[in-house]
Amino acid sequence: MRLVVLMLCVAVAGGCVQMAKVGPGDVVIRDRMSAKLESPWNRYESPHAGRAEIWTIDGLSLDRVDFYAGIAQGETLVEPKAGQDKALPRFRAKMEPQEIVEMVDASIALDGSVFRLDRLAPSRFADGDGFRFEFVHVRKVDELTLRGIGYGTVRDDRLYLVLFRAPRLYYFARNVAQFEEVARSVRIVR
Amino acid sequence: MRRRAVLAGCACAGFLARSNAFGQAPSTWAMPPRFAPPELASDEGGLWAVMDREENRLKRSAFLLKDQALSEYLAALVCRLAGTHCPDIRVYVMRTPWFNASMAPNGMVQIWSGLLLRLDNEAQLAAILAHELAHYISRHSLERLRDARSRAAFATLMLPFGLLGAIGQLAAMAGKFAFTREQERDADRIGIELMAGAGYDPRQAAEIWTQLLAEVKAGEDAGGDPARSSVLFATHPEPAEREADLRERASAIAGTRELALGADEYQRIVRPLRRSMLEDELRRRRSGESIHLLQRLITKSGDERGELRYFLAEVHRQRGSDNDVQRALELYDAATQSGNPPPELFRGRALLRWQQGDRVVAVADFQRYLELSPQANDADLIRSYLKGN
Ligand SMILES: [Zn+2]
Repeated sequence: MRLVVLMLCVAVAGGCVQMAKVGPGDVVIRDRMSAKLESPWNRYESPHAGRAEIWTIDGLSLDRVDFYAGIAQGETLVEPKAGQDKALPRFRAKMEPQEIVEMVDASIALDGSVFRLDRLAPSRFADGDGFRFEFVHVRKVDELTLRGIGYGTVRDDRLYLVLFRAPRLYYFARNVAQFEEVARSVRIVR
Repeated sequence: MRRRAVLAGCACAGFLARSNAFGQAPSTWAMPPRFAPPELASDEGGLWAVMDREENRLKRSAFLLKDQALSEYLAALVCRLAGTHCPDIRVYVMRTPWFNASMAPNGMVQIWSGLLLRLDNEAQLAAILAHELAHYISRHSLERLRDARSRAAFATLMLPFGLLGAIGQLAAMAGKFAFTREQERDADRIGIELMAGAGYDPRQAAEIWTQLLAEVKAGEDAGGDPARSSVLFATHPEPAEREADLRERASAIAGTRELALGADEYQRIVRPLRRSMLEDELRRRRSGESIHLLQRLITKSGDERGELRYFLAEVHRQRGSDNDVQRALELYDAATQSGNPPPELFRGRALLRWQQGDRVVAVADFQRYLELSPQANDADLIRSYLKGN
């Protein structure tokens, strides 16, 4: 655990991970979502960020929020690597929440990580009907156990999804309230 | 040098006595006596120390599949095959839905759960273990260590703690100084002698490759990328060639003798773990390969096809093309007719019916699911569907 922190710091000092401060106040996420922040977050700035916009408070391996802002029919949650394309689960507009969670599961399992769904229930999200789920993600690379919360909804055939993940010990409890605050403030930009 | 030393050290009477029973195919190989631990200051000693450290990580791994019956079964099987080396070998099963097994020079064997899911019987498991044991007994990694190019790769194994990435990957990284083709052929050859010596039908070694090649081909036919979609971890080259070679040698060794398959023994141990292994299989999202595998398992399983049909239906539902939806519905229906269908079957069928607008049927299935599984993790969501109708 201490090692992970150390490695992250090394990477930051080396300029590998670039962060930009977002908030407080109104923030637009990938043109299609917005959030109202009471305190600032850090946004991961990288051409390799992929399909999601990624935020963190204490550092990417300690807590992270992935915003998927309007995934369209046929699109994937992760950027396909060469040759991987066919195996990636793709969003279909008529998917039920269970199937969206299955898509998250398979995306997380790509690197050999383990995903376990603990609870899936209806929930308000983005000023409308949606769903909320709680999960565990055992990260393959360091075998750290992360707890996660996701919110999602499908509007006008697009998927809006927000995932929070943090190590079960300490960091989840430390930052979950701030995540829930962000999740409550999410709106869809039309 | 090493090979000569191995051949010279044929003072292992126990194995020789057994291998004489082969009759038709005289063995050119004999079990060497147990090895002394290497000097710590030697190259081999350094490699052992690294592997011992890796083994200690592995023992605490979250991905270690802990099942006492399986562990005891594997240990007993290793001892049947490894003879005098038995006390020096430890087998670990890792929860990873791909087909792989590996042997570290210190006697640590890793088997991935995706391999166990794909085997039919004890003879096939013996074939896998015997091949890996052959690498150990022939000290192939020490041979590689003496090779200049692999020394450089070996140096990367000496990196400080933590930088090596995921636990268990170290053995895979050792693939950088992977066994040569010659060593693989040796391991195949010695492996089938070991398994036949322990009374198993060596033709099952070739059968494993036949099954895997068919599965890989099914994946490619379904549009998968041959380079990546393979269930094989690409450590063992030229599977088609090896399959043919193994089949020929195994037939010669087996002759007309009656040799064991041990299908019931194998199923008794692995069957209780099958459900979670199939759940992991679905996560690979290699639908072509998974469909082929499940169809093969259904054909070979006597009873309790309900669970297998359920998983096959799930593959089709998740892939979700028009044909898949129809096929999934048929399979869900068939699974309800067979013994012991899992509660999730009713949820899967309900989801498809719901999306087709057939809400009355869907609601009945959702209710059935909740009756069978009231504590389900998505029970609140299902109840909200029912309330809305
Ligand atoms: Zn091998």
